This record gives sequence, structure tokens and C-alpha cells, in this order.
Amino acid sequence: MKSRKLLWLVTFAAISLFAAFYLFSNGEAETPQKPLARVSVVDSTKCIAPKEFMRANHMQVLHGWERSVVRDGDRVHIASNGSRFQKSLGTCLGCHNNRLFCFSCHSYANVKPKCWNCHLSPMETQ
Amino acid sequence: MIEKALKGNRSYWIWTLFLGALVASGLSAYYQQRWLGLTVTGMGREASWGLYTAQFTFLVGVAASAVMVTLLHQKELTKTVIIALFMAASATLMSILFAVADMGKPDRLLNIIFYTNPRSLVFWDLLFLSGYLATTLTAGWAMLGAEKKGVPPPAWVKSLLNLSIPLAVGIFFATAFLYGGLPDLSLWVTGVLALRFIASAFAAGMALLILVTLIVKKTKGLDTGKEAREKLAMVATYAGVANVLLLGVQFFTTFYGNAPLLWFSLIAGVVSVAILLIPASRKSQQWLVAACTALVLSVWVDKSAGLLIGGELFPAPLGSIVTYAPTSTEMFVVAGIWSFGSLLFTALLKVVVAVKAEHRG
Amino acid sequence: MMNEQRREFIKKTALGVFVGLGAASGLVPAFSLEKTALPVWDEKPVPGKIRWGMLIDTRKCKEGCQQCVAACHHEHNVPAFKNRREEIRWIWKNSYKNVFPTADNAGASKEIQSRTFLSLCNHCADSPCTQICPTGATFKRWDGIVEIDYHRCIGCRFCMPACPYGSLSFNWQDPRTAIVDPVTAYPTREQGVVEKCNFCSDRLIKGLQPACVEVCPEQALVFGDLNDPASDIRVLLESNVTMQRKPELGTKPSVFYII
Repeated sequence: MKSRKLLWLVTFAAISLFAAFYLFSNGEAETPQKPLARVSVVDSTKCIAPKEFMRANHMQVLHGWERSVVRDGDRVHIASNGSRFQKSLGTCLGCHNNRLFCFSCHSYANVKPKCWNCHLSPMETQ
Repeated sequence: MIEKALKGNRSYWIWTLFLGALVASGLSAYYQQRWLGLTVTGMGREASWGLYTAQFTFLVGVAASAVMVTLLHQKELTKTVIIALFMAASATLMSILFAVADMGKPDRLLNIIFYTNPRSLVFWDLLFLSGYLATTLTAGWAMLGAEKKGVPPPAWVKSLLNLSIPLAVGIFFATAFLYGGLPDLSLWVTGVLALRFIASAFAAGMALLILVTLIVKKTKGLDTGKEAREKLAMVATYAGVANVLLLGVQFFTTFYGNAPLLWFSLIAGVVSVAILLIPASRKSQQWLVAACTALVLSVWVDKSAGLLIGGELFPAPLGSIVTYAPTSTEMFVVAGIWSFGSLLFTALLKVVVAVKAEHRG
Repeated sequence: MMNEQRREFIKKTALGVFVGLGAASGLVPAFSLEKTALPVWDEKPVPGKIRWGMLIDTRKCKEGCQQCVAACHHEHNVPAFKNRREEIRWIWKNSYKNVFPTADNAGASKEIQSRTFLSLCNHCADSPCTQICPTGATFKRWDGIVEIDYHRCIGCRFCMPACPYGSLSFNWQDPRTAIVDPVTAYPTREQGVVEKCNFCSDRLIKGLQPACVEVCPEQALVFGDLNDPASDIRVLLESNVTMQRKPELGTKPSVFYII
């Protein structure tokens, strides 16, 4: 019984130490990344991936873009064939400029994406 | 076992339906808040916290203080342990609900887990609270099940109870330092804040537990023992004395303005502690009920008004003073969450009473 | 802050993008939301290399002028809620005793105490708001900007009392109802999230100065890299007596004032 109590005590102490370490250390010691070569052309004439892939995975792609742009400032998407795109909703909608492009599928599937809570939706522009 | 909560007399069902109605009105008020935004509350730019945060603070303290019953580990308290565990679980659940009700985007609640910020005390507080809810509820339920079968509780229950102790300590520290660390709310930032949070929590928590055991005794004839209540009253007294002293210190060191509610809190605290300190009145049941009720009210008012509103006044970060008055929507949500927690606690107590009655008979 | 090479670079690439767009669609895109344009910093930024800062020469700042406030709030679709309870602001003017409540008032002249001073997010190096945020939605960027990730904010509002400068505003209701003259180039926020000044990170990426700096008719605002000893802001900081807001709290603000 004694040893079990000791075990709890040690576990608790370990958790507290771990917490204290996180709370009071400056957890911002990131290793500097090597900058990519500067590019001069952004390709907005093709789709970034095959249609089938995009149909199934566009939300993950957009979510990944959102994360890497906002959190890391990594704004250039490099497609598998090497072409480059700016990570932006505008990149997609620049080509897919049919106003109903997003809505026709989403309303059919009864999906309500939250993008347009903040970003201007194609339906809201003249 | 839960089916035992579905059998009851007339007054049990009236009480349950009353709580159910309050939960329903709370839900409809909350639906309005979700739809229109937190603009339906009385909170605003300067008074960005209100009644919800106050209930959260109060309930967190009550929940974590119930650990004292486990910690004391005394023979007189064996019958009280399950009730204390269920009170802790209900209070923890309510405090989590209040935290969620206060959020602008509760649908993103899981972001706290998906995108953990380990430097944030808010994260640790919610983590400890969830763990505490799980351990107390599971341990209480398992102990009750064992009692029903007439066997000693399984060995892992002991481990769970032991785990709930550091979790409760974690809740105390995370909450106290969370508020204590806010740089520019002058009422919050006093050296004694963390200590006072703990003292007031034990005072209110133990007083509430005494009241609950007395209610169970009166309505269901299940007595957890006079000695148990005396033990709890002793803890409540010590904590109450510490709290009143620290509150007094704060009265002298910080500006409280014209805060009638705080004066009420201080006076009710002093009176209840005085009653508890005199052995004759402590032993009388009527006086004990009065003292405990006053103590709970004193701490509740102090948490709502004292720490948040400062008696209708809220010191804003930039030194200006802004009034805060909760709206009816806010109060309905508050009543709804309190009722939900009470409903859960009532059902759990019903099972406890039924199991114990079976065991006796 | 921005050299000629960069300016040329943006021009060319922006042109390239629009030619590409036009070619692909066959017509000019009808909607111009958040236009794609190659950012100036198209490579991944190096954390900690740059630390953006601002210097406000309050001697030049004209009493009654609200141009910077208007420009900022217009450019970022900041809603104009009239009642004080729900007010949202990124940059605003406030009295001396509210902006510098802990400064030594005995030394300040009547004239100084009667003036109003610009206040905005200080983008502190040691920011209490990012520390308290349970989801890391309020976070410190690689370039010293304290940014709010509106995709992640859960609206718990712990950052609001944590900030000693009152820089954060909460969307108590849907902000879109109160945006007077919406712009399409920048998103809005939504009900239930916290928002504040972003040091115009949206403009910096295009190689532009912050809106408030650009629009100020008196050139009272100077913006630049505090880590670059040759930047205008560093030169001015070295040659002037400046102050920060509530420096005793140790938050290390990136906004400086010449009084």
C-alpha cells in the first residue's frame, strides 16, 4: 500500500514538473528553416491536382493551405508536377469563376461550409 | 441501477419536473444566445466576463473541495464518500457547462484538444476538470455497485480516488493562478487571491455537503451520521475563518467602492463562522443549517459579485469603470445549467438512497 | 522598408498573374475577392528574423484627425457598432491618462495631458494574450506580429482581460450587419470570435506599409523592422526619447511613442 501511494506521488510530481516546464519555458525555440528559392512565376492556369482528387479532398487541401499560410507564412503550393500556386481561395475561384461552382455541389449534398462566414462568397459579388 | 432513479414519490417527481422545466427554459434561452450571439447577455467590451464565469468559479471550488472527504479518509466519513463524489461530479459538469455557455464558438470546443497550447492555464484547468469528472463519477458509481452486491469495492476504485486528489489540487491551482495572472484586473490581482479561492472553496463546498446530507436525512431517512457532519463542519469552520480573514484583508487593501453585496458577503461570512465556532450552536441542527446556508451564500455572492462585478462595478483594463447587469436570457441559462446539475445530482442521490435502503432491508 | 528591387518584382509578378487569370477564364473575372498576387515573401519566412515595430510621433499627430482610424477600419472591414458595449476597434484615439495610466504624470505638461494618443495592439514580444489562449488561436508570428487565427478562435475571451492595453474586441453579434462600406479584398470576421489589429500583415505581404502609416497626412507613424539596425525606425528610436505603454509589466511592446 505504501509503495502504491509513493507511485502516485511520483506520478503527480512528474506531471507537475512537466506542466511547469511547459508553462514557464519559452516554448518558441524553433529551428530556422532554410528558405526556398525565390520563384518568379505563379501558375494559375491549371488545376493543382486531378479533378477526382480535388472532388474528394478539396476541403483537406484548403484546410492545409489555411494552416500553413496563417501559422507558418508558407504561401506557395507546389503541385506534384512542379507548378506553383499561391495558397488562396482566390487562386481556386480565379479559374473556377462560375459563380455557382461551390454552391451547386454543396447545396445538392446539403453541406454547409463555413468559409463564407468570413470570406466573401462568389454569390455576394456583383 | 439507474432505474432506481425512475421510481419515486409525488414530491420527488414534482421536484424533478420543476428542474426539468427550468432546464427547458434554459435551453431555449441558450438557443437564442447561440443564434444571436453573446450580445443577448449583459457583457460587453469592458465587462467581458459576467454571471457565467462567476458560476464557473464558484462551482469549480465546490467540486474540487469535495476531495477533502477522500483526503480525510476517516471512518466517520465512509457513508458520506459516495455523496461527496457525486456532488463533485455534478458540480464539475456544471462548471464545464458554464465554461461552454460563455464561449462565442462552442462548436469549436474540441480545438482545445486538437490545438493544445500547453502554456495556457485555461487548457490545464479544463483538462483537470474533465479528468476529475470522469474519476469521481466512475469511482462513485463503482462503489455504489459494490455496495449493492454487498462486496467491497474493486481495487481500482482506490486508485481512481487517489488520482482524483492530484486532479483536485491541479484544479485549485490552475483556476487560482489563471485569475491571479491576469495583469490588469485590480480586483483579481492581489497576493491573497489564490489562497482565498482555496479557502472559500472548502468553506462553501463542505457547507453545501452538510446541507445535502441533511436534506437526504430529512426526505429519505438516510443518515450519514452526526459525527460525519461534525467533521465536515470542522473543515468548513477552519476554511471559513481563513476566508473571512483574507476577505477582510482584501477590504482594506483594495478599492471596493460602494459594494453592498460585498458587505453582505463579509457579514454573512462572519456570522456563519461565529455560529460554527460556538460548540453549542454547531451541535444544534437548526443552527448548523443556518450557518451552512449563510456560508454558501456568502461565498457565492463573493464569487459572483466580489470577484467579477465588484458590486455592480467592474474595473476595466484601462481604468474606467463600467456597469454590468445580467440580462434575463443570461439568468435563464444560469438557472437552466444549475437545474441540469441538480437534476443529475438528485437522480444519483436517489440511486444511493435506494441502494442503501435495499442493503439495510 | 521596401527596396526598388522588390517593388519591381511585385509589379512583374502581379502582371503575370492577371494575364494568366484572364487567359484562363476568357473574360475578366467578375468577382475580385482577395485577389491572388504573388507575395513579396514567397519563400517560407525565417522565424525571428524580422520583428515589426511602430513609432508614433505624437507631436505631429493632429488633434481631431481620424484618417488612420478610418483607413484601417475600412480596409479591414471592422464593423461600426455604435453602442460602447459592443464596440470593435483596431486602432483608436484615447486620452493621455488612459493610454499611459502608469506613466509619471507629474512630468507631463498640461498640453500633453490634454492631447489624445493613438492606441493599437502593441504586438508585445512577451504577450500575455498568446500565453493564455487555450487553443493557440492568438499566436506570435515568425515576424513578431501577434496574430489571431480566426479559424481557430473559440471565443472564450480570456485574452481580453489578459491584455493590459484593452486591444482585443469581441464579436458579440454578427459583424457583417455593421460594416458600413465593405471591401472585397479582405475577409470579415464572424460572430463569436475575438479580433484586433494585425499590423497590416495583409498589406505587408504585398510589400505595402500598414494602412495607418500610409494614410497619415503628417507622416507621424513610422513602421519597420526592429531587428534591422539600419531601418528608419531603429535610427529614429536611437535619436529620440521614446516611451512604451505600461513598460513595467514586462510585455515588451513593439509600439513606441515620442511624446
